[in-house]
Amino acid sequence: MSQTDMKRQLSDPASDATDSEDMEEDDEYANYYYDNTDDLDIDKPKKTDDPEYFEYTILQTEDAERLLNEEVERLCSELKMSPSLAKMLLHVGQWQGEDIIERYQQDQRKLLTESNVSCPKEMKEDSLVGSSPGCPVCAECYPRDKFMGLTCGHLFCPHCWDMHFRFQIEQGITMGIECMGQKCKILVPEDFLYSVLKDSKLRDRFSKLCFMDLIKGHPKLRFCPGPNCSVIIHAKEPRAKKVECSVCKSTFCFRCGIEYHAPTDCDVIKKWLTKCADDSETANYISAHTKDCPSCHVCIEKSAGCNHMQCSKCKFDFCWMCLGDWKSHGSEYYECSRYKENPNIANESVLVQAREALKKYLFYFERWENHAKSLQLEEQTLQKITSRINVKVMENEGTWIDWQYLQNAAALLKKCRYTLQYTYPYAYYMDKGGRKQLFEYQQAQLEAEVENLSWKVERAEITHRGDLENQMDIAEKRRQTLLKDFLEV
Amino acid sequence: MAATKRLARELDDLRKSALKVFRDINVDESNILNWHGLLVPENAPYNKGAFRIEIQFPAEYPFKPPKVTFKTKIYHPNIDEKGQVCLPIISAENWKPATKTDQVVNSLISLINDPEPEHPLRAELAEEYTKDKKKFMKNAEEFTKKHSEKRPSD
Repeated sequence: MSQTDMKRQLSDPASDATDSEDMEEDDEYANYYYDNTDDLDIDKPKKTDDPEYFEYTILQTEDAERLLNEEVERLCSELKMSPSLAKMLLHVGQWQGEDIIERYQQDQRKLLTESNVSCPKEMKEDSLVGSSPGCPVCAECYPRDKFMGLTCGHLFCPHCWDMHFRFQIEQGITMGIECMGQKCKILVPEDFLYSVLKDSKLRDRFSKLCFMDLIKGHPKLRFCPGPNCSVIIHAKEPRAKKVECSVCKSTFCFRCGIEYHAPTDCDVIKKWLTKCADDSETANYISAHTKDCPSCHVCIEKSAGCNHMQCSKCKFDFCWMCLGDWKSHGSEYYECSRYKENPNIANESVLVQAREALKKYLFYFERWENHAKSLQLEEQTLQKITSRINVKVMENEGTWIDWQYLQNAAALLKKCRYTLQYTYPYAYYMDKGGRKQLFEYQQAQLEAEVENLSWKVERAEITHRGDLENQMDIAEKRRQTLLKDFLEV
Repeated sequence: MAATKRLARELDDLRKSALKVFRDINVDESNILNWHGLLVPENAPYNKGAFRIEIQFPAEYPFKPPKVTFKTKIYHPNIDEKGQVCLPIISAENWKPATKTDQVVNSLISLINDPEPEHPLRAELAEEYTKDKKKFMKNAEEFTKKHSEKRPSD
């Protein structure tokens, strides 16, 4: 074992301690401010300036229950109705309390009918008992007063109601349980259900599932999608913005719950991911890790994230993606990220069109995939930087604080490349025209600066600190500009 | 079992009402959960024959829906080669415990009489039905004549 390895090993416990301290600090921080751009020592973005700014809080189950109950109580007292009914109206009306109150005051019957909570009067005559003896479901005869039903007047025996609830809960249905009548859409309020359902296990199960249903139906609440994480995110506004869970650290889009995907919107990213999954076989061939140097043809393996490659043999600078000379990537003629469509495609044969469609998809997929890989490789770079800093601190070459900027640079690089990765599905689905040209221009600018930053981070120890920080600033500005223009707010 | 009494009542009602479109209801003495019957459609091209169907009720009936299968081959966009049929009224999402078998049968009959090519089980037949109705009618009639059961004389 070499000396440096020894030192690295020795310093590991120290680094662990620092890491966990950092985490605690982050947690406290996260409780009142979530935007991690604030961690970086670049110009602190103001709320209004930052296209990614998003206000939210992390709730435990009890907090979320309290929040829902408060909203239910507000409606109860405002409209003088039972909590059970208020809960249903809120769930059906997507928790738009004000709107529900207004509609209720305008036309109470209309709202209740539209929400499938009560039946219009004229249908009530259609009572089932009387026309044929016995319960319409089990055909058993009971005294008339045993039968139960909702406002629709469909009456059934308590035993059948109980069985109905049992099978509905078994299927995971709670807020959506309907009356048993053929074609009847009237919803069962929970007080009616509880008056029938006596099995305590089932009542518990209903209450748990019901809570989940209510959270899922609430536009400002979302369960954290992190594995085994049970917290609930409460957003001020229901938007497609980035959330970082302070408990399990997973990041995701608030609106759709999958990985954050700015500037692409929720529908488009879903379409893109489905397409990638469907076409995974076609795309597999490009996952190669090696390419030949375009100048001297020596085989090169990509071992770091930066796409600005320099052949170790002939020193030729080239782009990993398009294998073009890197010089052209620094200029305004940067075209590596731009797909050039065949202008005459409409007149080509079906076969040529299909080939062109595949070519276009692969172009975008290749870049999307390559940035994902770069992100992984840069994760390793960050680990290397951390251990190198440890060595330096151990050797009394500055303190942790002195080297913090390197970590910040790596974190910023990750953030910028992440956004860059998600610009490709956005561009793929964009229509041709001026807006696409502007997008591709800004994408190219961001791409160039991200690669410059990556190049400098990899060579951090020989890069001047001011130079690196300048590059960080430029890259983040490019990212912000693109998001400001294209992230749907 | 809730199913037994309810099914006995339904069977009784169905036999009494003597529907023209659904006859010869056969129920195994030992198993009331399994019914067979003869479907007699009124519209061309299916009015050239009759079709045997099987209705299987689950033990949890009427809280869970029955299944319907065709035992006679039929040339129809909504019924596949195995005789499976996609009928909304008996799908798990739409099922209501108060839905009666005669309503299920009526819904099935109207699907046979008027195919719904918008949600087919056999895409190629749906395409033929929408794009070349004449050809579809000719093929379906020939198929019906060749494979279906004889229609009752009354």
